[in-house]
Amino acid sequence: MMETDILVIGAGPAGSTAAKHAAIGGANVIVIDKKSEIGTPKRCAEGVSKDGLKKLGIELSPRWIAKEATGVRMVSPNGTAVNLTEDKVKLPEAGYILERKIFDKHMAMDAGRAGAKIMVKTLATGLRREEDQVMVTVENMGEELEIKAKIVIAADGPESRVGRWAGIKTALKPKNMESCAQFEMAGVQMAEPDCIEFHFGSVAPGGYAWIFPKGDDIANVGLGVLTTITDKSAYEHLLEFVESNPATKNAQPVELNIGGDPVGGLLKKMVADNVLVTGDAASMVNPLTGGGIISGMLGGRIAGQVAAQAVADGDYSHKNLKVYEKLCEDELGESFKKYLKAKEYLLSLSDEELDEIAEVFKDSDFETINTAEMVRKLVKISPKALLKLGKLF
Amino acid sequence: MIVKEWCMYCGECAGVCPRNLIEVREISLNFNEKECKDCQICLQVCPVQALEKRND
Ligand SMILES: Cc1cc2nc3c(=O)[nH]c(=O)nc-3n(C[C@H](O)[C@H](O)[C@H](O)COP(=O)(O)OP(=O)(O)OC[C@H]3O[C@@H](n4cnc5c(N)ncnc54)[C@H](O)[C@@H]3O)c2cc1C
Ligand code: SF4
Ligand code: SF4
Repeated sequence: MMETDILVIGAGPAGSTAAKHAAIGGANVIVIDKKSEIGTPKRCAEGVSKDGLKKLGIELSPRWIAKEATGVRMVSPNGTAVNLTEDKVKLPEAGYILERKIFDKHMAMDAGRAGAKIMVKTLATGLRREEDQVMVTVENMGEELEIKAKIVIAADGPESRVGRWAGIKTALKPKNMESCAQFEMAGVQMAEPDCIEFHFGSVAPGGYAWIFPKGDDIANVGLGVLTTITDKSAYEHLLEFVESNPATKNAQPVELNIGGDPVGGLLKKMVADNVLVTGDAASMVNPLTGGGIISGMLGGRIAGQVAAQAVADGDYSHKNLKVYEKLCEDELGESFKKYLKAKEYLLSLSDEELDEIAEVFKDSDFETINTAEMVRKLVKISPKALLKLGKLF
Repeated sequence: MIVKEWCMYCGECAGVCPRNLIEVREISLNFNEKECKDCQICLQVCPVQALEKRND
């Protein structure tokens, strides 16, 4: 049997960040991940905001930045494009396109350097409480082990089960889980190779399609759909999108990535005695953009700090950990509510309405426009916007 | 539940199973079929339709 103060389950961005900050806070930390290579395969379009990385104090490295994106291109169903530059309109996930296979490992290494012990190819299979601690059973290279911990941080991503073992309701309804499919492709001919591109409307029911450039002719091309409003799988929608889009119809896939993106907004309950849930497992994903790297790391940082403090206090009770929920609500929950509303509005628009809006915006002078002004302008064209967005911005 | 060979072990099905019956290993899926109530939520969310209901 192994013993530790804090056991982090899952070495994605959220788990590694939690482990790093728990170790910095003075606790003994073990991080486990079932994968043999952290970060691989990726389940991600790899876009992150510059502000987000800065806020987390992460030093940039060319090793894991594939490309800088300087603008955003939004395309309506009939192909009308609106181009924005990032200094004019703040979009939460625009900035860099990462190489996540390297980034995730980099974040894990950071946790290791801060003092956390990392165990790869180690699957958590169960959890039980023993006195005021928890016993986690794991499988490492075919061998069953037990790890005793004062606190478990569940950072096991969208497939999360760890929180549920502790009695936290993390299972999502299908309407809160976007099913995503993506190709990484070569031979992509983008209209604006320095912009991240979004396609709205019936190409991706309940979500949107994206083209995120990673290099000259390389891009992540994918989409997310809500299975509650389409009968086709995300993969089938992806094939159709790739074939119909001029940028991708001659491109070739070198990778297929699929996965879930929890887009329903922050879980209400994220702690139990001895257990904190963070990252995708706690639905820490921007409900509008589906971006969860930065928000997962912000949540992970708080989880690590709160857990280390609880170890110092010698009190791992639900009551003592509860401050975590409040801090996450302040850091993420408030803004998520706004993004949820914006998403609701976006999804309420028909293809024709989206085309109309794009038509009005396409020649706008974005030198003088910001997000608030954009919304004001939107309200003029689309009466729905007033109802759904008017009071928010 | 029958898992087709093109399953990518993304775990999306595990994330929505309300009864917590699906476990993703690195390259395999485990179902606790005894407890399965056949709600088929897991089938619906799979991005590549890799799950099929077992007819027995
Ligand atoms: C197609 C797609 C595109 C996306 N695009 C973007 C984007 O452009 N920008 C963005 O910000 N976000 C994006 N996201 C979301 C982003 O990928 C996630 O929000 C982010 O990875 C969450 O990080 P995490 O650390 O919480 O979980 P994950 O990165 O999922 O890490 C969880 C880890 O836990 C491990 N694990 C799970 N169960 C166990 C267990 N029982 N035992 C041991 N280990 C376990 C897994 O192996 C995994 O390594 C996208 C998601 C998808 C599906
Ligand atoms: S959702 Fe589909 S592809 Fe993903 S693990 Fe489940 S069966 Fe496999
Ligand atoms: S059918 Fe329902 S209960 Fe059975 S494994 Fe799938 S999600 Fe779980």
